Amino acid sequence: MPFINFATKEINCKIVYYGPGLSGKTTNIKWIYDHIKPENKGEMITLATETERTLFFDFVPIEVSNVRGFKVRFHLYTTPGQIIYQASRKLILKGVDGIVFVADSQEERHDANLDTLDDMLENLKDYEINIEEIPLVFQYNKRDLPNVLSVEKLRADLNRWGRPDFEAIATKGVGVLETFKEITRQVLKKIKS
Amino acid sequence: MLSLRPEENERLKELLTNLNNESKAKIVLLIDKSGQLISRSDSPAFSSDDVTFASLTAGNVAASEALSKLLGDKNLSHMFTETEEEGIYMILIADKYILVSIFDKKVSNLGIVRVKIKKYYSELERILREIEKRAEEESSIPTEIDVEDIDLDTLFE
Repeated sequence: MPFINFATKEINCKIVYYGPGLSGKTTNIKWIYDHIKPENKGEMITLATETERTLFFDFVPIEVSNVRGFKVRFHLYTTPGQIIYQASRKLILKGVDGIVFVADSQEERHDANLDTLDDMLENLKDYEINIEEIPLVFQYNKRDLPNVLSVEKLRADLNRWGRPDFEAIATKGVGVLETFKEITRQVLKKIKS
Repeated sequence: MLSLRPEENERLKELLTNLNNESKAKIVLLIDKSGQLISRSDSPAFSSDDVTFASLTAGNVAASEALSKLLGDKNLSHMFTETEEEGIYMILIADKYILVSIFDKKVSNLGIVRVKIKKYYSELERILREIEKRAEEESSIPTEIDVEDIDLDTLFE
């Protein structure tokens, strides 16, 4: 649910990067954080284990000013991907305005993609969020690795709603910006509608 | 969609500032459970990043609520975190918002903070309900906001 403050002229939106463990959610928002101008970003928070797996969430606030005098602030979150953190994933979806589903393109990780998508749908249902109505983008990550599934296969199995989707190599920044721009465009359009 | 009009923002800020001053806190923040900062007292004494603080606070409350449920679905109503020099007291309002008071332990204490929050709690709850009701009745975003002319390319180096 976006929050608009007419006194301070601020619009706040929450975007969540969702996907199976090690699919590259944190890599996506780290890349964004590293390439954004310092004046447009707040502090990045990473709550990770010793092995750098996300334990609870990662958080990056990004601000864009001078939109007819309004400042838009995107709060980017990632969820922990590992199966055991189901409860955390649900908590982080609270009040979400847009979702990026980061899929792992490797064949051996496809079951994890499907399980995580089911988990996301279940959590959204619990919050009474209609998947047909929420801004949603798919990203097929790790396209540079061997043994990846075709985009057609990933699209058919995951992107059942015909939403915009992108191929990516998040470690090199390929497709990261395109994904981010598309989800923010959808979120802003939804606010306006 | 929750929105805050200038006059509502003023009322909230005034209430939070009064609460802050009376309880001798460093700052009082009002956050929603999804991690957005709704309002804060007019307090120069606090230098941390409000937005980041709001996000972590919501995460902290969410985790504690989940813990509470694991212990038998007991409702969480308030939390207290203590550092060497500061106390952070959080209380839930209308099950949707989190009121946070950060105070220097040499200047104030948990008892004073709780008594003062009790004094303002009902009024704060009432203001928030009025804001929600007004926001619900407004079906679409006002024309003064044109978010679609945003240029994301200017964000990046």
